[in-house]
Amino acid sequence: MADLEARGIPTVGVATTEFIEGAAAGAKSLGIDPALVFVPHPIQDRTDDELKKLADDHLEPILAMLVKN
Amino acid sequence: MAQDLPREGLVAVVKRDCPTCVMASGVLGDLARLGSLTVYTQDDPSFPETVPRRLDDTTLDVSHRLKVEIVPTLIRFAGGREVGRTHGWDRGEWERLSGIAGLGRDLPETRPGCGAKNLEPGVIERLKIRFNETGLKSRRIALGDEEDEQEAMFARGWSDGLPLVPPTEERVLRMLDGTSRDPQEVLGLVPPDLAPATIEKIAVNAVMAGCKPEYLPVVLAAVEAVLEEEFAMHGVLATTMFVGPVVVVNGPVRRRIGMNTKGNALGQGNRANAAIGRALQLVIRNIGGGRPQEVDRATLGNPGKYTYCFAEDEEGSSWEPLAAERGVPPGRSAVTVFAGFGLQGVVDQKSRDPESLSRSFAGSLKAIHNIKLAPACDAMLVVCPEHHRTFKNAGWTKARLYEELYRLCEIPVAELVAGAQGIAEGRPPSLAGKTVNKFRPGGIMIVRAGGDAGMFSGIIGGWSAGGARGSLPVTKEVRS
Amino acid sequence: MTVLLDPTAERSPTVRPRLARPQSLEGLKIGILDIAKPRGDVFLRRLGERLAERGIAVTHYAKPTNTRVAPLPLRQQIAAEVDLVIEGLSD
Repeated sequence: MADLEARGIPTVGVATTEFIEGAAAGAKSLGIDPALVFVPHPIQDRTDDELKKLADDHLEPILAMLVKN
Repeated sequence: MAQDLPREGLVAVVKRDCPTCVMASGVLGDLARLGSLTVYTQDDPSFPETVPRRLDDTTLDVSHRLKVEIVPTLIRFAGGREVGRTHGWDRGEWERLSGIAGLGRDLPETRPGCGAKNLEPGVIERLKIRFNETGLKSRRIALGDEEDEQEAMFARGWSDGLPLVPPTEERVLRMLDGTSRDPQEVLGLVPPDLAPATIEKIAVNAVMAGCKPEYLPVVLAAVEAVLEEEFAMHGVLATTMFVGPVVVVNGPVRRRIGMNTKGNALGQGNRANAAIGRALQLVIRNIGGGRPQEVDRATLGNPGKYTYCFAEDEEGSSWEPLAAERGVPPGRSAVTVFAGFGLQGVVDQKSRDPESLSRSFAGSLKAIHNIKLAPACDAMLVVCPEHHRTFKNAGWTKARLYEELYRLCEIPVAELVAGAQGIAEGRPPSLAGKTVNKFRPGGIMIVRAGGDAGMFSGIIGGWSAGGARGSLPVTKEVRS
Repeated sequence: MTVLLDPTAERSPTVRPRLARPQSLEGLKIGILDIAKPRGDVFLRRLGERLAERGIAVTHYAKPTNTRVAPLPLRQQIAAEVDLVIEGLSD
């Protein structure tokens, strides 16, 4: 993500809530403040329909991180 | 650590690498047996063998807190406070502090001690940093464990495009040793953001530029000079034209810090020339916030905006140095800053007399910016030693050469009018008068520099609207 | 841990700020980068569909393996082809 932003491409990362602390630590160690949206854990055992619904539910928050507000 | 210091009794600070401490180790053993003695050793915790209760102060924390300067140091504590101390071996003093007579009978009366380890160069800075006693006020930026130092500085926008020296607390402290001035002294407000340039902030940028501490006074003088109102630093930065500050150094400081006045003086290879000019640019970028394609609107700019600093070749010149021309007393060091760009070379390998050589110079001077523009801008003529010799042999003073150049730079208005010579650029046609000078009075400055071989002088062009409507050169003395 | 002194006038935060975002998505191309964790592709494909419904140009990319950073040619390609990126799905 940091690499793409360094290339001038605004980027938003999507991760599960399990990743919140890991993301914070990684950001701190790199000295960056990445745009992140968290979806509820877990992902691996969800059905296709459940995953599609998660995507629908999180589309707006994701897009909000890609435009100026 | 504080618990280690006794409330009552004697404390000694020693190091093995000190003949006086070694000599006194027998006495220390006696004091340990006869009374209460705590010994801190700065280098080897197994020393002195004569004293069973030895404490390791190789981190020098205790020595620093006790402000030990010379070893051995002997201190008496009573009621939790220091009530007396001595350093070196002095029988009378040691007996007084310990209250024990007859110490070291086989030793001389006195013997001086040695420098304490906590005052060694490098060590004292590290201790000040550890104890937060540096007095440095700049915000600390802790890099992430995974951050590469160079990438971190580039990513934060601090660089002019080339690598920087990471400005650690240690490096900045050492840099500040290069001046006796107060690090919090504000030299002025740096455009465009009008942010205060403290000596400390300048030192941080000087570290990044690659300066040695001994260059700092020259950097400070250059910053003071560009912040003078008549230099018009904001305009110099914001212009679409080519210029950046050019720094010329005069006086004894040139030799002291090893600047280059000779071969390739305006080029690369000399650390002082390179780093001093670069530090000034980094100050403008980082403190002032002046950056290309932001407030800096230069169309092309010029390579001198990385760094443009050189020293005048004063030795053996028959002309007074630039700083002397501008009022600096002999024997004093000074910088002159000039809003300039590039280098227009003047090749003349045939002129044997000053008149001919002057015409070569004038022809090139008249082409600055555009042959159709006059007045155009200020200019600095850098005369190489072989060309200077031609003037010296003919007995031409600097004043004589100035006079000749101004005379030769009078241009008939007819040549300059817009459209003349098939060039649209030029002066409005309605202008009266027969001739116009390429330069305002005082618009030319002359310095001598360069290697001894080669008949190649150079012209550093200036900014448009020279003089009071633009940027005026400024000279500042270098203060330690 | 390296500590540096700030050479600037300290008017901005110490953490590197994010890139400025555009005013709107109009006319911009979005890249969706799958970092190759299992099941993430379903989520991301759905995002792509919803964006396409809105008339937003979308290109899908995928890392060859989750275990390593995206290869340089892929990153260069993405930077050349799109204006914005959605990257996921980390867990």
